[in-house]
Amino acid sequence: MLNGQVTCLRLKPAETDEVYSIMRIRSVAFLLAACVLIFGARIEAHHSFGAEYDAEKPITLKGTLTKIEWTNPHCHLYLNVKETNGKITNWKFEGYPPNVLARTGFKKDVTLKVGDDLTVFAWLARNGTALAHAREITLADGRKLYFGPPAGTGEGTPIVP
Amino acid sequence: MKHILLIATLVSSLATALLFVPSPSIQAQNRGAVRPAPRTLDGKPDFTGVYQGGSSKRGDWDFQVPSDQPGVPTAATQAAVTSQARRDPIPFQPWAREKAQEYVNLRSINDPTSRCLPGPSPRANSVALFPIQFVQTPKQIVILYEYFNVFRLIPLDQKSHPDDLEPSFLGHSIGHWEGNTLVVDIVGFNDKGWVLSGGIFHSDALHITERYTRVDYDTINYEATIEDKKVFTQPFKTSTTMMLREGERLREYICPENNEDVLRLEKLLDSPELFKRNPAAPKPQ
Repeated sequence: MLNGQVTCLRLKPAETDEVYSIMRIRSVAFLLAACVLIFGARIEAHHSFGAEYDAEKPITLKGTLTKIEWTNPHCHLYLNVKETNGKITNWKFEGYPPNVLARTGFKKDVTLKVGDDLTVFAWLARNGTALAHAREITLADGRKLYFGPPAGTGEGTPIVP
Repeated sequence: MKHILLIATLVSSLATALLFVPSPSIQAQNRGAVRPAPRTLDGKPDFTGVYQGGSSKRGDWDFQVPSDQPGVPTAATQAAVTSQARRDPIPFQPWAREKAQEYVNLRSINDPTSRCLPGPSPRANSVALFPIQFVQTPKQIVILYEYFNVFRLIPLDQKSHPDDLEPSFLGHSIGHWEGNTLVVDIVGFNDKGWVLSGGIFHSDALHITERYTRVDYDTINYEATIEDKKVFTQPFKTSTTMMLREGERLREYICPENNEDVLRLEKLLDSPELFKRNPAAPKPQ
């Protein structure tokens, strides 16, 4: 169970766009291959991404799934992650609500099971806890799905002309 | 010579045939070919169906455009959002502009939707994450929103709003036909919502005029004129398209079930240095 490992991926802001591009390319390929709907449309969930999470702090974590919460307004994944010093930390990842996950290709009790080894690409919470906003998860068999919307900065529509 | 002509003809025919064999992408486009908007038995445009706002793609559910989550990370997504939900510059009164700017500086942490409170329809109609269903009868149109699981009743046989309206998040709607366009007048709002994302708040004087036109089988053109004499200096418009999603169904979205964000956001407000943006920082491009 506790055999995950940390792969921290700190990207400069300019590199973040590359990540989006790569994710889109991978996703299109997956769409064609598996005929499964993924992607994020014009996203407006129920709160500001930028207030809670930092788009300049992307992170990729590998670990073992310990719990799934199918709740509104966000589903959560919990992952036991082994850090470089050997310590195990239980990370929490926020994502889409259940209705949206159903459209991005997740099926309850089928797609994810406790004990699965996962890789999660996410952005860290501003509050400094083991909390992150998940975007792309890679299943043990290599399939990739979007668990949450892409990052926003929370800058909003410019008000001052 | 005859053989040469025959071969040339065959080659030419084959080339022509190949030219006119639709490529997979063209076939896909043809499947989404424009069909006329359906009509009801009484000859009115029939809006019945499930739609996705904030999208211009025909066919299946559109998940291809990342992020309206306020603030957009790339030029590409910025352009996509702009093309799908167009709005005039916001004609805020000076005091209101200052207040809205502060909302933005706080990265929309005060967005009412963070507390699971819905916003008026110009906002909800341009959200692509959740489907919207129209149910139509000769005397009434009902719009069901998966986003916050709310609904709007739009009577078509009332010429004025009731005089006992209570303040509400979605307002009171009455509709009528202008040719092929459904025109909806909405009043009776509270002052707790954002009429558009990104700090575009409103008062109880909000008055919205919506125009829905099902221009073809797949597409509703939506335009809203937003007036609020307490907040804006003049009316302004926002528009989007709502695309038919056959086979899609509305699902449950009971937002307050486990809304941990409220507590986290309240804690963050005690430490604005953790998230507050620098107002002088360059705007996202």
